Amino acid sequence: MKMMGEFVKGLWRENPTFRIVLGLCPTLAVSTSVSNGIGMGAAATFVLVGSNIFVSLVRNIVPEKVRIPCFIVIIATFVTIADLFMKAYAPMLSRSLGMFVPLIVVNCIVLGRAEAFSSKEPPIRSILDALGMGIGFTWALMLISAIRESLGSGTILGFTISRSFEPPLFMILAPGALLTIGILIALINYLTVKWKASGSAGSPSGAKQGG
Amino acid sequence: MSQMVKFGLTLGVICLAATLVLAVTYEVTKPRIDAAMKAEEEAALKTIIPEADFFKSGMAGDIEYFEALKGSALIGYCIKVTGSGYGGYMRIIVGIDTLGAIKGVRILENQETPGLGSKINEVRPGENEPYFLKQFKGKNAAAVAVNKDIDAITGATISSKAVTDAINRTVTEFMKKVNPPRKSTEEGASDFSSMGLH
Repeated sequence: MKMMGEFVKGLWRENPTFRIVLGLCPTLAVSTSVSNGIGMGAAATFVLVGSNIFVSLVRNIVPEKVRIPCFIVIIATFVTIADLFMKAYAPMLSRSLGMFVPLIVVNCIVLGRAEAFSSKEPPIRSILDALGMGIGFTWALMLISAIRESLGSGTILGFTISRSFEPPLFMILAPGALLTIGILIALINYLTVKWKASGSAGSPSGAKQGG
Repeated sequence: MSQMVKFGLTLGVICLAATLVLAVTYEVTKPRIDAAMKAEEEAALKTIIPEADFFKSGMAGDIEYFEALKGSALIGYCIKVTGSGYGGYMRIIVGIDTLGAIKGVRILENQETPGLGSKINEVRPGENEPYFLKQFKGKNAAAVAVNKDIDAITGATISSKAVTDAINRTVTEFMKKVNPPRKSTEEGASDFSSMGLH
């Protein structure tokens, strides 16, 4: 695959949240407001890129049977570095992210990409893959939190958008998260199938038209 | 056997490298983090009791507190409170006047659920302090309780109670240890004994 392809795939075709369906635990918990979503996405992207560089660098040294603990140590180290530096040099940001930063250690996207990609590919490709996945994760978070925050709190980024209805509280609780993500995945699956069908409608191999 | 040694060694070396990196990062960031925490505390003290010129720190047993002084007169106390919320510990500062009425509450650190428990520290747009903490002003710190004085936040009962009970508990203990001079700072304010505390 061409270099840019490694980056672009994480944005849509292999979007970690909607297509590969990874890292749903923090996504469900964190997407209660757009600012939370952006913050989590940014921090997760930093950890993704940083830890995947090192996983790729040590990929030939680490024996297969101890790779998981080794990767986890690398990831947790990066998360802690990010947390400490944020507390020291950007205390306002650290305060608004709060608990999210340590939670990145358990984000399946980070270990998932380390295991599926960086442990087998050279560093430059690993960086591009991590960046694409991180940005894909971030926009997915923003979309989900925009829906949940506007319906569940009546606000977006803290700004009240409507006072004309009493926001259903369940939208910012677990059921709202599951509903929103489930419906979004169904919608994206539907669109993907539809676009693939209309894309091959003009192919010479005689694929069925219309339908 | 040599396989196990190889595994252990690789993992050990990576852990060692990680420990070194983290130890260095910790030491490098510690002064700034400590300074940031102190600055945050000092800023909080000023917002809780703005009339004070000077804060003198002191210890009452385990409780760390600051005397709020205007000139040479004691006008109140800022007490550091630690509580246990839904998600973990909380660091709170509560300011009281010499009669034990709350002047203000600031939550410096909490690990409550983002979007729910974290609302204890949420500031509504256009306002300048968290709406939940505004309720504490004027209440008797050593007897403050949810439902009686404070409305809990919907969906964040445990967090709301944690803040309230931590303040109640710590100030009660503080009062026993420090026994502040019962001088009223306002005309016509009743003193402690009529509050039924002692």
